[in-house]
Amino acid sequence: MIGRLFAALRGLLRRRRIQAEIAEELRDHLEREVEAHVLRGLPPEEARRLALRDLGGLTQTIEATRAVRATWLDAFWRDLAYAARVLRRSPRFTLTALILLVVAIGSTTAIFSIAYAVLVRPLPYPEADRLVFVAGYDGAGVIWPNFEEWRSRARSFDSLASSLADAVIVTGGPIPRRFESRSVTANFFRVLGVRPVQGRLFDDADARPDAALTAMVSHAFWMRELGGAPGAIGQTLSINRKAFTLIGVLPPGFRYMTPADVYILLEPQVAANYRGMQSRNTRTTLYAVGRLKSGVSVTAARAEMQTIAAALALKYGATAKGSDVTLVALADRVVGDMAPTLTVVTGAVMLLLLIACVNLAGLLLNRSASRAHEFSIRSAIGGSRWALIRQLLIEQALLVVTGGVLGALAGAAILTVLVRVAPREMPRLDEIRLDIVVLTWTTLFSSACAFLFGILPAVKASGVSGQELVVRSGRGSTRPATALRKALMLAEITVATVLLSGAGLMVHTMVRLSRVDPGFDPHNLQTFMFSLTGPQWPDARKQVFYDAVVERLRAVPGVENAAVTYSLPTLGSNWWNVFNFPGKTREDWISVGEFPNAGMVPVTAGYFETLRIPLIKGRYFNRSDTPDSLPVAIVNSSLARKYWLNEDPVGKQVRQGFPTEPFGPWRTIVAVVGDIKQEGVDRETSPQVFMPIVQQPRTTVFAIARTRATVTPSSLEMAIHELDRTIPVFNDRTIDQVMREASSRRRIAMIVLSVFGGVAVLLAAIGIYGVIAQGVAERRQEIGVRMALGATGGQILRLFLRHGLAIVAVGIPCGIVAAVAAARSLASLVFGVTVTDPATLGTAAAVLTAVTLLACYVPACSATRVDPLEALRSE
Amino acid sequence: MNKSQLLQGTLDLLILRILEVGPNHGWGISSRLQQMSKNRLKTSQGSLYPALHRLEMRGEVRSEMTASENNRRARVYTITRAGRKRLNQETETWEAFALSMRRVLGEGR
Repeated sequence: MIGRLFAALRGLLRRRRIQAEIAEELRDHLEREVEAHVLRGLPPEEARRLALRDLGGLTQTIEATRAVRATWLDAFWRDLAYAARVLRRSPRFTLTALILLVVAIGSTTAIFSIAYAVLVRPLPYPEADRLVFVAGYDGAGVIWPNFEEWRSRARSFDSLASSLADAVIVTGGPIPRRFESRSVTANFFRVLGVRPVQGRLFDDADARPDAALTAMVSHAFWMRELGGAPGAIGQTLSINRKAFTLIGVLPPGFRYMTPADVYILLEPQVAANYRGMQSRNTRTTLYAVGRLKSGVSVTAARAEMQTIAAALALKYGATAKGSDVTLVALADRVVGDMAPTLTVVTGAVMLLLLIACVNLAGLLLNRSASRAHEFSIRSAIGGSRWALIRQLLIEQALLVVTGGVLGALAGAAILTVLVRVAPREMPRLDEIRLDIVVLTWTTLFSSACAFLFGILPAVKASGVSGQELVVRSGRGSTRPATALRKALMLAEITVATVLLSGAGLMVHTMVRLSRVDPGFDPHNLQTFMFSLTGPQWPDARKQVFYDAVVERLRAVPGVENAAVTYSLPTLGSNWWNVFNFPGKTREDWISVGEFPNAGMVPVTAGYFETLRIPLIKGRYFNRSDTPDSLPVAIVNSSLARKYWLNEDPVGKQVRQGFPTEPFGPWRTIVAVVGDIKQEGVDRETSPQVFMPIVQQPRTTVFAIARTRATVTPSSLEMAIHELDRTIPVFNDRTIDQVMREASSRRRIAMIVLSVFGGVAVLLAAIGIYGVIAQGVAERRQEIGVRMALGATGGQILRLFLRHGLAIVAVGIPCGIVAAVAAARSLASLVFGVTVTDPATLGTAAAVLTAVTLLACYVPACSATRVDPLEALRSE
Repeated sequence: MNKSQLLQGTLDLLILRILEVGPNHGWGISSRLQQMSKNRLKTSQGSLYPALHRLEMRGEVRSEMTASENNRRARVYTITRAGRKRLNQETETWEAFALSMRRVLGEGR
């Protein structure tokens, strides 16, 4: 037994050599035979002739000998070659099946890879399931004093760290540069479990008040700014004009929430009371991240933190900030508001996979039906069932493997495109790869579908008895379960309706969004930010500088107008504050229930002209508004309507802050301007108070230039650097870009749903066409008889159209019910349209009805052209 | 039992018997067969070589390519333990069969 196996194994390994060896062996035989004849006295030529005759056909002998050595591998190759031939012989079937597989595997793999990378794959930190994100009440930041209390009281954590996103100015190069930064507690990286690629992490000694200032940088910063030199460790970096020692480089791709290049310690900032961090009465964007002790659940940790928060509330009074706490798994926090988009996209792709597989099933079912005759003949003449199944298995495997390979290629291509159009803020975008697990999964799913529907019916057919075969041979094929086919068609219509109505809602949303009047002319506006930080920028210098910047920008060729503002339109308000009117007290507002509040926007003269915001009443700001002139303000019409419905706001006064804690002077309103969509085109218009920036200087501001021709951002930035080379300039973009980025989540959903909706409709049409066409082919003789008996073409047409109507009558209502159920997942994405919009659902239903009827009409028409004589003759 | 199977089985038996004497190559086996059967039995190469390779696949003989005279290589076959076992078994079966045949044919005369 073992000997036999060994020989078979050897035969397998030496497969290529065997033929040559057999030939050699036979040649040896021939020579010996010749020699033997010569020894007996025959002349050499005669001896050779005789020997050759005895040996018989040399080639046949070699072939027969080799056949003995043939293994299962040879049999497999033979089957494979046969399968390839069978598939090539029916190119229409093969191509359709391949397209279905590529669509199913390619698109699902690409989309699932994204969803998996963003939603499922653990954060790139060790034991990331133990990491939790801790924030104050309702997700607001935690004030430092409370964080210290948390840290000393909480028992759920191995360690609790905190950090806040910031930006720093790094000087030392030719021009000062601004980098995204993160201020972290000394234990921050240890909590995450990060190891440095160069140098070391922060330790507690670095956080001591007397320690030298230290910094860590991202791998990208190290490579780009420091040339990737290991000697960079220990080098001095000038950050915010202070000397920091570089102690370590983080691993490539490291990222916590937002990407950052520079990491510095939080403790020295607290010690310096930076931004009033020691105060209990402040707002902050400080958030904590903790590593749970192993075995402690998120729920248990949350409960403990809430107890601590309640204790703090008692200690510092109920009004003390931070009396409540939010604790979630870090992974949940990271996914954030991309979740609805991903849910929708993933749902869409699953539906597409479903419809493609349903179609594949229908296709294979039809094919088995048309090959049933072949199978029953083969089994009737003694072909073993196993041989038949093996043949089919190999055929399907060939199909699925080819489809899988092409699908993976298509998936990689789709992924590249999607990552390119994805919004920058999408989390973990750089970690997205075509996922092997996902690819395997989708391929297995399609294979399972192929095998189920491709082989089972054939196996059944091969069991058909000879007698049945003869009886059936007239029809040329057996009909697969009609109920199953109908169910497949219904599933297709239902799924296509869901995808199509989803696509309709998103298209509707995008149209509505594009029709929103932002209140200003958003095109040809180039913007960038600059920052006037440090003691060398007293307010008096800033006040002069803003106007100088505007002058310079206006002088750049192609620039029509320019302005400086503290808040960029559609990007949101950077400053939101309460304000008051003369004579109103705190109690007056408490009785109303709300203090008046508005977005406060310091701007230069020319801001409204640059943006083309219409003046409704009064005058725009101009050069006569100076730091020393009458403090003035302009309000938007929303605010004017809210507080002075029947009065003239011009000449009225407002002042920022609570009645008891005013901020700044009383300002006289000089104008009312039109509303703009400051918070974003999909948001409610907010009340706004504009003031001359010279009367209310700000540090980090936006410059806006209305351009005529294409003006490069660098020529604008150059204008600033001509004034002062030490000013960091950053974030150049156009307002169009800002608006496009704001709608990118919706755009992704729309693109995916539209493409998939279109493909789904196409697939459904192909599927229904296939089933009806098959029905027509099977019933040719019946049609012939009917026509011979006087049926008109119209009657035949109605016979098959009735099928279509039946599918529509059941499928469309099913689809609408499913679409309404699925639409809820779109709720946070749609704009200007309800998720159950009857017009959209109706359109989707109408399109599918038309497509279904067309898919039935085409084969039905061919039925009316059946020649009765020919159809009957073929019986 | 059809004719070809009978012949094939017989040929296997004859090959094993020849190899029991000592290792040999294909031509040697063929000529020994003629010698031993006094030219009564002659096998065609078309069936000898497939039979040899089949025996090898079954592990009843093993083979080696060995250098022979005149710069040629010859495949030399050697009987294995499994081959000897089969030879003994089949010889017994064959003799029992032959004996029965003789008895039946002798009685019938």
